[in-house]
Amino acid sequence: MQNVLATMLQSDTNQASQSLYTGNNSIWRHMSDALHESIYRVLSLLISILPGILAFLVALAILTLIGMVLSALLRRGLTAARFDDRLARSRGNAEWAPSTSPTALIARASFWACVLIGLIIGVSAFDASYATAAALPSSLLPYLARIVGAAFLLIAGNLSARFLARSVLIGAVNMQLQYARFLSLGIKWLVLVLTGAMVLDHLQIGGNVVELAFGILFGGIVLTLALAVGLGSRDLVSRSLESHAEHSGEHSAKPPAAPTAGPDESIRHF
Amino acid sequence: MTTADPIPGIAAPSARPSAGLLVLLAAMTPEHLEHVLANLTAAFPTEGLLVAMQGALPAGSYPSLRMIAAPATNPSWTLTAADFVNACQLAEKNGSSSILMLGPSSSSLDSAALRDLANAVLATPTDLAVPFYNLPPRTGLVNSAILYPLTRALFASRVRFPLAVHLGLSLRMAQSLAGAAHRFTSSNQAEMPLWPINEATVAGFTIDQLDVGPRFQSQHTGLDLNTILPLLTGTLFADIDAKAAFWQRFRPLPPAQNALPMPMLQAPPTDAAAEIAPMIYAFRLAYTNLQEVWSLVLPPSSLLALKRLSATDGAAFQMSDSLWARIVYDFLLAYRLRTINRGHLLGALIPLYLAWVASHINITAFGADPESHIEAVAAAFEADKAYLVSRWRWPDRFNP
Repeated sequence: MQNVLATMLQSDTNQASQSLYTGNNSIWRHMSDALHESIYRVLSLLISILPGILAFLVALAILTLIGMVLSALLRRGLTAARFDDRLARSRGNAEWAPSTSPTALIARASFWACVLIGLIIGVSAFDASYATAAALPSSLLPYLARIVGAAFLLIAGNLSARFLARSVLIGAVNMQLQYARFLSLGIKWLVLVLTGAMVLDHLQIGGNVVELAFGILFGGIVLTLALAVGLGSRDLVSRSLESHAEHSGEHSAKPPAAPTAGPDESIRHF
Repeated sequence: MTTADPIPGIAAPSARPSAGLLVLLAAMTPEHLEHVLANLTAAFPTEGLLVAMQGALPAGSYPSLRMIAAPATNPSWTLTAADFVNACQLAEKNGSSSILMLGPSSSSLDSAALRDLANAVLATPTDLAVPFYNLPPRTGLVNSAILYPLTRALFASRVRFPLAVHLGLSLRMAQSLAGAAHRFTSSNQAEMPLWPINEATVAGFTIDQLDVGPRFQSQHTGLDLNTILPLLTGTLFADIDAKAAFWQRFRPLPPAQNALPMPMLQAPPTDAAAEIAPMIYAFRLAYTNLQEVWSLVLPPSSLLALKRLSATDGAAFQMSDSLWARIVYDFLLAYRLRTINRGHLLGALIPLYLAWVASHINITAFGADPESHIEAVAAAFEADKAYLVSRWRWPDRFNP
């Protein structure tokens, strides 16, 4: 009886392990197939767009070379023709900085124009090969364009933020506002937050969350600035009123007024 | 260039103004206009003097004057590019050989001063007659701090007021200035001031400086330091940039004119400490906030000197002349190289200028002669000119 039971159990175990082995084998085979298929798909995709990439690189390289040659020719030709001197005589400008002379500017502009043309030609060649590559995900190239646009937005926003922050800082210092740096920082972060929101919106990341977060952040910064400026001004006004009421002529605590060129003052700047 | 000056007390023989003098009057209030016309009548009693003015012409009151209409320009506190273009066009149209341009506050010039300015361009080979105003010590400080020292050091001219608002011009000088003004008027910048001394020096014209007595400037709306100082320094720096080939060559400064008087008007007694307190406050505020901007423009040695200055007490607050000259030169270089945005650059100069003014008042409050200090500042600019020329030519050279 024990032998019969043992035989039955052994045969059951063998069957189970055999079916498990068969199942594992099938999973591995499916995974392997899937991997092979995806590798094949990516490789065929790369092969299909490779001519486009090569065309892009070749167009860019050739036009860059042409630009370098053209730039060198223009530089030599204009220098030989004394173009800078002639222009200076006609415009009345006696001297140019070497890095910004008209000859250098024209040579540089011609070089970069050629590079730009090369880029345009390369992108259009890549675009043509992309159109034929049916396997390429349809959203990849437009998204690349969005990324480039977002990068431009980011750079422009950063530059604007720095410019505005410095403008506000210098203006506020010349108006003798004690919170000039704070005001400048506030403006800088306002523009940066606005830029960040625009970039994310352009990349279609976040959706409503970005808009909501932007609104909260923007409103928060504006409120903070308003409170800071308002409270600072209140202090300024109260001190001014106090000193006026006291008629003491004490100057130590009062932030002095900005110098002007009024007729009654003994100091006149003009 | 000559800088001959009429001998005081001896009136120069009056030339014949009708032979070709045109007087161009800036826009001014009717009261001031009456005063100027009365002075002109007194200066040229028997001549048919040609006077161009804006607005309605007063009829019948001044038989010795021939009034013509001048093109309207926007009221300004100084002579503008549009004024110089109008002066040249009117002179050519009416066959005038000389021009007397009278800007705002012309009513403060008496008839003798008007006659002297006119005679200088009519009766002598002078191309540009500029006034020497007798101002109180604490007046015209932008001129004393920047305009005069820079013009003297770079263009080798002793003209004390390079941006005078009253000028006598020969026709060729007017044509030269109109040519320079055309660059502004054609780009819709007719309100920009010109620098006649620089133009005359580069063109090799003769300049004469004449004592015209005091000048009382009427208050003009918009005459704000934060607006005017960047405008003046910006146009002067641009003019210097355009004439770099001229001023980089060494030219000896002409000898000083002994005949010109020292400014005699005295400032009312004031509390110097109270006067300079706002300026020192402005400088210290800027020092704590504008470090990053100044460090882009000024070398470490100047920044260190400013740090020491910011820690100085009010009574001892004195900026050395060499430091001020170096600061102005470094700002001029940064303007040329576009180290930072030019508007930012010129705005960042204002607190430093206020520090110079505070220092100047402090120095003079302790008994120093204001004019001597201004001459010392100009001498410091001359002494440091080699630095400017060197860095102008080789901006990337190491500069500790």
